[in-house]
Amino acid sequence: MTTRRISPSRRLIRLTSGFGVLTLLLLLAFAAFPSVFAPFDATERVALPLQKPNEENILGTNDIGQDLFSELIAGTRASLFTGLIVAFISILIGAIIGLVSGYVGGWADSLLMRFTDLILVLPFLPLVILIAVYLGPSQRNVILVLAVFFWAAPARLIRSQVLSMKSEPYIEAARALGANPIRIMACHLWSGVQPLVLVQTVLVASASILAESSLSFLGLGDPSAKSWGSMLYFARASGAFLGDAWKWWVLPTGLMITLTVLSLGLIGYGLEQRISKNVSL
Amino acid sequence: MPRRLLEFGIVFLLAISINFFLPRLMPGDPLKLIAGNAAPQLGEERVKALRAQYGLDKPLHQQYVIYLKQLARGDLGTSFRYSGGKSVVEVLSENFRWTLLLVGISLTLALLIGSALGIWSATRRGSALDLSLLSSVYILRSIPPFWLAMLFIPIFAIQLKLFPSGDSYSIPRLDGWENVKDVVRHAVMPITILTLAYVPTAYSVMRAAMHGIMESDYIRTARAKGAPRSWVVYKHGLSNALLPVLTSFMLDLGQLLGGVTVIETVFNYRGIGNMMFEAVKARDYPLLQGGFLLFTVTILILNIITEMIYPYLDPRLRRGTA
Repeated sequence: MTTRRISPSRRLIRLTSGFGVLTLLLLLAFAAFPSVFAPFDATERVALPLQKPNEENILGTNDIGQDLFSELIAGTRASLFTGLIVAFISILIGAIIGLVSGYVGGWADSLLMRFTDLILVLPFLPLVILIAVYLGPSQRNVILVLAVFFWAAPARLIRSQVLSMKSEPYIEAARALGANPIRIMACHLWSGVQPLVLVQTVLVASASILAESSLSFLGLGDPSAKSWGSMLYFARASGAFLGDAWKWWVLPTGLMITLTVLSLGLIGYGLEQRISKNVSL
Repeated sequence: MPRRLLEFGIVFLLAISINFFLPRLMPGDPLKLIAGNAAPQLGEERVKALRAQYGLDKPLHQQYVIYLKQLARGDLGTSFRYSGGKSVVEVLSENFRWTLLLVGISLTLALLIGSALGIWSATRRGSALDLSLLSSVYILRSIPPFWLAMLFIPIFAIQLKLFPSGDSYSIPRLDGWENVKDVVRHAVMPITILTLAYVPTAYSVMRAAMHGIMESDYIRTARAKGAPRSWVVYKHGLSNALLPVLTSFMLDLGQLLGGVTVIETVFNYRGIGNMMFEAVKARDYPLLQGGFLLFTVTILILNIITEMIYPYLDPRLRRGTA
């Protein structure tokens, strides 16, 4: 309503986006150069198991004597990698379905959107568990299973934006000039939905990192791969979290997941506010 | 309504088809996926009988018919986790009430709390209060609920000894009133965590819906007439927001309901979710399929109930059906 009331929201968005970007940069550094930050090789047994934090191992060691701090750093790569790959695949599927559904319309549209609704109604985690069990535990299968679900919500959003762009003069002009539908979708509509696609990629990455941690925690990820979810799985399996170990084993691991999910979420939110014409927090 | 019912029917069909095709599309002998690791020990006779029972020697479409017939009789197969061979339906019905207890209370609490906070935020948009609520909800949404549970147990159960660290009741079970208190004490932590996990969705949905409505002309008119603020918010605002809120909440149900799986696992709570986790470890495929189907059916039933409530919330629909 008044500019005076909107400005604190703007300031907050700037602040949170800045926080998100800085955190993400740090995490990317962890993922790219783990050996710079981690004192030990996370896959090596470097000390006695279940050590408390000490000078050598600042977060202590896990149940088989690996350095927990080094595991934490190593886990960044798996989590970010999974999140980004899932986001990339889901958005690719979502964009194609959204573009075709919105632009072609008619039968194709109702069929595709009914299918999208089906995906959204199904109980996400139980079905993911079911599929993951049949496929077997591996990082590739986790990515596959998550991508099967995460395209649906972006597809709906992209479709509704395509619908609103469809009758814009430049699209009509392109059609009148004889451009074929594939060209219109791939060039004109695609450039229009790009900002939305960017936002959705970031948000899906955020959501899939959270989902990946749940799956790894349930023991459905690759047991040998270092990920934050599997660190928590072993913390629970060894029973160590019931004692004092929760302070240096469980707490930092979950904080890393939260920070990663939060930073991506905040970046996505900031971008979303920036591209929407009227800033409405 | 009939159109929606048809859609729900299709979802159900999809769910049972997933259950049918998953074991049969996987490489290897589907019998191994149906009978699990027990297959080699069953002996020739029993294996042959099982093969015939599931029609695994027949073409796929005939197998599907056999499967549908079994399903229609309420036969979801036999769980092979239990040595005696309990039926999946039996195991599910033992566990389902615990899940229903957790989910029912948490969803209700989250809807009430989340909506109240959402209304509060929407009517004070841009204020310090709104922004701090919004930020808190954003942080809460990023926290893995199972991690929160893993922090709650050592703090509240082991160190402070306020609540039991797991399970749904004490063993041996207490009787009468003591038993009720015992069940409540066991449910407090899982319900708290689930509610915290559900609140962000309810909050965001309500805040967005109320915001759109509070900017509309009829609210401005009501305010201009001099109607008191709270009256305008609850009578004109909320009654128009309930419908979209319920609709979007139902759309998210598939995501929300599944979350109970991990929470039950952390607390060793005797619900369907924990049962599925145990089934994963034992590769108990029939039980896993049954759990998935039960979750789907629960979501569908909740959706149907919502469809039936709609006319009471929206007078425009009432006139149409009367």
